[in-house]
Amino acid sequence: MAERVSILDLRKVSAGEEERKAFFLDLNISQIIDKMAVRWGQGIRKLYAYFPADKECEAYRREVYGDFKREEIYQCCMAFVERLGRVEEFRTLRGKVRSSMQSGVYQIREMDAYCRAFGTLAQELSKAQPESRGLKDFLAYLQELLSSEAYQKMQSTCAKVLEELLGFRFVITYEKDRMMVAPGESEGSYEDFLKTFGDPDRPPLTSPFFASNMISELENSCLDILAKKRPQIFQTLQRTAEEFTSYEDEGLLQFTRELPFYLSFATFQREMSELGFAFCTPGADEKRQMEARGLYDLALAIVAHREGRRVVSNDMYYGEEESFFVLTGPNQGGKTTFARSLGQLVYFTKMGLDVPAVSANVHYFKDIQTHFSVEESIETGRGKLKEELIRLAPMMEEHRSGTFVVINELFTTAASYDARIMGGKVLTHFIELGCRGIYVTHLKELTEIHPRVVSLRAMLDQERLQTFEIKRSEAEESACAANQVNKYRLTYEQLKERL
Amino acid sequence: MNAFLLYENSDRLGEHPYYDGKSIVQDLGLKALFLAAAKEVIYDKEVVKRIEKEDVYIQDTLRKIMMVPLETKEEMIYRQEIVRDSLKREDLMRELYGISGHVLQEWNKLGRGLKDKLSQSNPVTKLTSDIMVAHLFYDSLCRIRELLEEAGEDLQSKGLKGLRKRLGEEFSQERAAYVKKVLSDISFYIDGIDQEDEARDQVVKPRIVLECGLEDGLKFSSLKLQEVASQNTKFYRPGSTMDKLQDFKNSRIPDSFSTVKEVAISEQADQLEYAIVNYIMGNLGRFMRDFNGFFDALHMQTAFYVGAINLKHHMERFSLGYCFPTVCEQDRLAFRELKEFVMCLEQRVKAVGNTCDMKHKELLIVTGANQGGKSTFLRSIGIAQVMMQSGLMVTAEEFKSGLFPRLYMHFTRREDSAMNSGRLDEELSRMNKIVENLKETEGAAMLLLNESFATTTEKEGSVIAYDIIRALNEAGVKILTVTHLLSFAQRMYEQYREHSDSVVEFLSAERKADGTRTFHMIQHAPELTSFGLDLYEEIVEKTKATAG
Repeated sequence: MAERVSILDLRKVSAGEEERKAFFLDLNISQIIDKMAVRWGQGIRKLYAYFPADKECEAYRREVYGDFKREEIYQCCMAFVERLGRVEEFRTLRGKVRSSMQSGVYQIREMDAYCRAFGTLAQELSKAQPESRGLKDFLAYLQELLSSEAYQKMQSTCAKVLEELLGFRFVITYEKDRMMVAPGESEGSYEDFLKTFGDPDRPPLTSPFFASNMISELENSCLDILAKKRPQIFQTLQRTAEEFTSYEDEGLLQFTRELPFYLSFATFQREMSELGFAFCTPGADEKRQMEARGLYDLALAIVAHREGRRVVSNDMYYGEEESFFVLTGPNQGGKTTFARSLGQLVYFTKMGLDVPAVSANVHYFKDIQTHFSVEESIETGRGKLKEELIRLAPMMEEHRSGTFVVINELFTTAASYDARIMGGKVLTHFIELGCRGIYVTHLKELTEIHPRVVSLRAMLDQERLQTFEIKRSEAEESACAANQVNKYRLTYEQLKERL
Repeated sequence: MNAFLLYENSDRLGEHPYYDGKSIVQDLGLKALFLAAAKEVIYDKEVVKRIEKEDVYIQDTLRKIMMVPLETKEEMIYRQEIVRDSLKREDLMRELYGISGHVLQEWNKLGRGLKDKLSQSNPVTKLTSDIMVAHLFYDSLCRIRELLEEAGEDLQSKGLKGLRKRLGEEFSQERAAYVKKVLSDISFYIDGIDQEDEARDQVVKPRIVLECGLEDGLKFSSLKLQEVASQNTKFYRPGSTMDKLQDFKNSRIPDSFSTVKEVAISEQADQLEYAIVNYIMGNLGRFMRDFNGFFDALHMQTAFYVGAINLKHHMERFSLGYCFPTVCEQDRLAFRELKEFVMCLEQRVKAVGNTCDMKHKELLIVTGANQGGKSTFLRSIGIAQVMMQSGLMVTAEEFKSGLFPRLYMHFTRREDSAMNSGRLDEELSRMNKIVENLKETEGAAMLLLNESFATTTEKEGSVIAYDIIRALNEAGVKILTVTHLLSFAQRMYEQYREHSDSVVEFLSAERKADGTRTFHMIQHAPELTSFGLDLYEEIVEKTKATAG
């Protein structure tokens, strides 16, 4: 028997791996996952919560995801999920009924749906010829399993019983306050008559007794008569159900658990691409510089598109000797959005998925750390500063070297003099730990704190309106007055737009 | 299924009602016309015996339909043809109106509109009422088809002939037979609804043959209906000897069980019956949907034609000649013996008819003696125009006009005409809204002005009127105005004399040499006096004289 395969390569996730929650909220990644969860259920949260163990594992997933972007593979897996839904339906029904005979029927149908789902998957997947190690290995595993003697036996027994059951028909004649029951079919043609001028949209004739999963007294009276007439059908049914009580394979179960990770993102990516948002597979070349063109905030894109707003994208790169962006500029100028898009870039790269950019090359980082000021915090002054520092402290521990750091508006409540000094220390610390990242601030002095710092600025146009473009540029002092006007959205154009 | 008696291709009223229909109704006094249309004239040997009480539905319908003008000549002719057929076959139109009304009334009793509420509380009640409604539809459609077919060559209009043809197709003999059979097969379900149990010796019971499978957890699955019928069976009083004997005989049938002995099974058999009947009725879904809106449409549309029939009788009552108007270019307006219909209805007097033919005219200015019939004249044109644009006949020997889907009224109502700035403000604001509407909409436009801008001084009013009327005229709006603003009229007249191809026409209330008024409008240059002096003479001086 072949070894079980994890298409997420979860074997390599260390046991002590922690769930990452802090940056989910800060980078608005939870909004993106919420959007996907609408279709895929809250279960996918877990799949997005753990990073792959190492660089190789990231590459392994990137390869698998590459397969999922191919139309044939995407479609065949989506169809598979649909078929799996049938299995779930029967399983739910099975759980609801009390009579063992009834649950036997649902179990046979469930097994049948299960065999169909995986059988079709094996066929279609092998036709599509996956290229990734993950899917190739899984396909081999699946094929071997399907051709095993045990599986074959289960499939054929199940099919035989089901065929008998599906083929079994009986006729009720209801007349003069009595019901006569007889196995077999009937000659009547009322359905044909009804069709002649009938309503093509009419709902089909369904039994009123489906309102409950239990067998009604009336149905039971019929079954009593049928059991006397055709005992063997009912006996085989019961025997088969008992024989295959636990029929599921652990390896296939794992596949069905992991599959939604790729499918959910592939589906989401397709939807967003159709709306005109770019995605690319990031290069992970350590020899080339880290860069991205047409980078945007994916979470903002979801909202902005719904509201008909434009989403601005930006280009960026870290030169060889550059470690940190210090981003200054007017309020509402797109600084936070840019910082988030950088964080998302690193996150999706780490997850082995595509990133929201036209093109990108991203280096390997052990982890992502974020620190955003909590605006809703009731605390101000010293209280708030304290709260910020408490959150900051663990981020600065020695073992956090080689991470990607996103810091947004630190120390806003401290005196400027203090804030400058603290900010400088924080930046220097991360740089010397070999981290990369971005630091959003109002303090232009921080742009000159360290030779590895690059100054970025949120740009204004000639009328001093926000363009949401982020460019390499010296920090500017004078944005202040315009800032005030901007802040209250009182410039001419803004008022025009508002009114 | 569409009725299509108002428009050739739609059962909906046009999308462009008159701007401010309320003013049109009020200024032209159309309420009296709607009321007359709703009252049937009953004759006894060709003598008017009595006038029926009004049918409020007709009254409302006339109002709704007449406030949405027809926009093309073809639309107008389409309706006129149906009006002609209606006048020829009053009985037919009245019966169509009656049948459709009956359907709607009965349908309401069966809980139409309450449907959703009802279906939630009691599905069986809803199903039974659905069956009753289907019966109602079937019977009525048979009758309507029969009526139209019997009418034969009497029907000349595209509209009624089209209705007959469509009904023949959409309610074909085959389809009717299908509906009839379905309703008869499930008649067991509504058996006894109309009858007293005591009086019966027969009951209708179902015979149903149903084929099932068991694949869905041994419950009845993939149901296939093989036979359904209603059978008349002898009714035996429960517990009677015959009943017991019958019961014993039935219990000997092998592989069967009774559906009435146990409460649970009996209830479940009822559920099964319900499901099957509901499914069968579902097959009539398309039929019901096809005719769902038909009776509403037919009722509303025939109401209009019944209204037209009634109007004709009222015209005859007052010996008013009538004709079907014809469409001509928009810059022409021609009529012979045009009479003000509403005034006749209200005051029961014979009106004076006016005749004129205005070619290439975009502006008509009527001046002249007070109480000389100027406003009546203007209204008579307005009423005729509205009637024409809804496809009705008008009270004239001949009437030719263009179609003006945009018809505006700007009347100064007598009681409003006190001179103060508030009134003028109100007038200008009304004009402003009209202009706003002109800006926003499209189509030929006609504006009737009756003593507009008389709420300020004659001089000021003249200037206002001159500017507004000229501007609107240049924007292509045809204007008919009755005015006391003589400076305005004079100024227009001077320009008119300078241009031989002027599009302005001047009419004046005729005054004979001895000062008597004929209520006729004649072509006449505006004078500087509006003959108020005459009136003063007539009323004040004569009273003085008689008193003296």
